[in-house]
Amino acid sequence: MKLPSSQFTKDQEKFRLEVRSFLQKELANRTFETACDSWLSGCNPQFSKKIAEQGWIGLTWPQKYGGQERSAIDRYILTEEFLAIGAPVAAHWIADRQTGPLLLRYGTEEQRSYFLPRITNAECFFAIGLSEPNSGSDLASVSTNAKKVEGGWLVNGAKTWTSNAHDAHFMITLVRTAPYSKESKHSGLSQMIIDLHDKGVSVKPIKYLTGEHHFNEVFFEDVFVPDNRIVGTIGEGWKQGLAELAYERSGPERILSTFPLLEEIYSILKQQQNKEAMNRLTELVAKLWSLRNLSLGVAKMLEQGGEVAVPAALVKAMGTQFEQSIPEMVRLLTETYPTMDAQKMLDRYMAQSILHSPGFTIRGGTTEILYGIIAKDVING
Amino acid sequence: MSEIKELLVKTMEKIFKKHITKETVDLIDEGQWADDVWEILKENGLLAACISEKAGGAGGDLEDLFSLLKIGGKYAVPIPLMEYIFSNYILEKFHLAPTDEMITYNLSDTPNCTLSENGEVSGAFPHVAWGRYASNLVTIAKGSGGNYLVKVPLKDALVKEGANLAGEPRDYIKLTAIPILEKSRIIDYEQIEEMILLETAAKCAVIAGTLEKIYESTIEYTKQRQQFGRYIHRFQLIQHHIAQLAGETVIVDSAVDNMMEALVEKRHRHEIPLTRIRIEEAIRTVSASAHQVHGAIGVTYEHNLHHYTRRLWSYRDEGRGHLKWSQKLSRDLLQSNNSMWEFLTTY
Ligand SMILES: Cc1cc2nc3c(=O)[nH]c(=O)nc-3n(C[C@H](O)[C@H](O)[C@H](O)COP(=O)(O)OP(=O)(O)OC[C@H]3O[C@@H](n4cnc5c(N)ncnc54)[C@H](O)[C@@H]3O)c2cc1C
Repeated sequence: MKLPSSQFTKDQEKFRLEVRSFLQKELANRTFETACDSWLSGCNPQFSKKIAEQGWIGLTWPQKYGGQERSAIDRYILTEEFLAIGAPVAAHWIADRQTGPLLLRYGTEEQRSYFLPRITNAECFFAIGLSEPNSGSDLASVSTNAKKVEGGWLVNGAKTWTSNAHDAHFMITLVRTAPYSKESKHSGLSQMIIDLHDKGVSVKPIKYLTGEHHFNEVFFEDVFVPDNRIVGTIGEGWKQGLAELAYERSGPERILSTFPLLEEIYSILKQQQNKEAMNRLTELVAKLWSLRNLSLGVAKMLEQGGEVAVPAALVKAMGTQFEQSIPEMVRLLTETYPTMDAQKMLDRYMAQSILHSPGFTIRGGTTEILYGIIAKDVING
Repeated sequence: MSEIKELLVKTMEKIFKKHITKETVDLIDEGQWADDVWEILKENGLLAACISEKAGGAGGDLEDLFSLLKIGGKYAVPIPLMEYIFSNYILEKFHLAPTDEMITYNLSDTPNCTLSENGEVSGAFPHVAWGRYASNLVTIAKGSGGNYLVKVPLKDALVKEGANLAGEPRDYIKLTAIPILEKSRIIDYEQIEEMILLETAAKCAVIAGTLEKIYESTIEYTKQRQQFGRYIHRFQLIQHHIAQLAGETVIVDSAVDNMMEALVEKRHRHEIPLTRIRIEEAIRTVSASAHQVHGAIGVTYEHNLHHYTRRLWSYRDEGRGHLKWSQKLSRDLLQSNNSMWEFLTTY
């Protein structure tokens, strides 16, 4: 497993500063408030609109679909700047990260020209409909099913843990289009674009442990999905979905969810000129530096069309454990009393980090499952 | 990496693969070293890597040097590979003559010896690598006007043999009024720091190689060993060890590559300490996991795992290690006007 090392061109450095100064201005104008984990829990459609006005949604996509045809590294820079400042980008995150690339790869021309410009304008947000009450890690066992009818499919079943389904317009939904068989459980699955406002779809909130409304249950009762809303090929949904996973798992959001807290403790330790604590902080800095190299390496390989499923799994497994470890370390370096509405930023970021961190190592594939993927590849490789 | 470099790496691997066996590595514990391997490397010009052709070297750059050291680390070669090449590298860097004779170095930010007006050094060094075999020592001496890099002959030095945890020679050397062979101009604090940075970077490359070796052979072992009628890699908890070993190895490999790139672009002031600090955890995790996966066989002398894990446990405490580097990095961080994010993203 050899990954390219990270370097940036002058233009890329310039772009980074452009994004940074935009975000700092918005922060100063109080358009948003820095928060940890805001890439998934900071849903703010108005803010996403502002990002769209900058041309920063679908940055890498073809211009004819509203993109800018910039490089994957530019997009990497953009997203890590969002994460570093803790900007509320959840509304458009999934569509930008996954739906766009999926449609560019497998979508029809009609789907691309309908959805992509709407996504880049922040008019159209997507959710991910994979997990079900009885299918978590064993995703291939999903039972939400679709029956062929004239002109389309009739979908019945339920998805769960669907982040931001209440703010999204559509959901890429994994459904069973042929009966489950133990021998070939990966076949017979298909991906469909379901309009979350269609007849027969109901979205019910599930309260996150903070009491916040973040994810949902989504029920389907005889929902009609027209043929032109099938993504790619019927029966190929599993394979198509795997391609998305590399994007989903290797990005900077698997490393930086609690970065605002690290930034804050750094500033506090500097004020205190606290040598001893700063010594210990260097370990976190070195971990972050090396994880970021790895994640950037995967981004580079993705751009060159390399096979990255396993390094992406590595980034996610190691990165999310790192994000989780930050509040645990910080609380040993300075006095803190975390509450969600604390005036002190450190206390607030601590609260967000502690309360959100159990999910880091679960969402997008649990650490245990990722370890299994990595080990199997290493053994066979 | 350029094609020429890849070729070089392949050639080196071939030589090491062919000539280094468990018995070769065992030599170290019998108080011997692999002089046949040494001769082969010499014949192939590999010992003169990174020394300019003008100075009688084989040319090449730091990247070549580090690739070589990484392979050296991977094979646990019982020869003073890093000591010899690195000594000559710093000699040339400070405009002193590289040498064909056996040479080693000792670097520390507070010099261990003094240089008198008439060019004689006196002082003591606790753990000189391969000291008993070396004819020369490169070190920093404190003279009247300041510090100098000096080349000192060792034939009249007092040598007390010692060894690190891996059984590699680490000798006590005492110099009493030994006339030096050569000295540099006065060198300042920054130059000493730069040498120590490079030495740390070179050690990181060696360690990366050793980690890779442990990782690869542990994976192999899980494919050979069976219990309960299954290969042990089929057990999920063993798979977790494997995943963690893979993670640590890949992350260190990528850190070292990024560090090398930073070195080439002369922006390595923080990249080297960051790599060194990150390596600490890798050593801890990899050595513990590898031994756990091997069970009892791994703690026998018979099995070769210990050659590599003992080296990791030695190298981490040699030269400037984790503690000092984190203190130093932390001083920089305390004085910086940048945010953490600026620190990480400014190249
Ligand atoms: C904050 C958050 C947001 C989410 N957002 C979405 C979303 O938008 N869309 C969506 O589809 N899903 C979403 N999910 C769901 C997520 O993908 C699943 O939670 C995840 O795949 C694990 O499934 P599970 O929760 O059912 O756990 P289970 O699969 O039931 O696992 C329970 C435990 O058993 C372990 N386990 C299971 N199988 C194995 C095995 N073979 N070997 C070893 N250990 C095993 C797991 O690692 C875990 O520790 C979200 C989850 C969270 C926490």
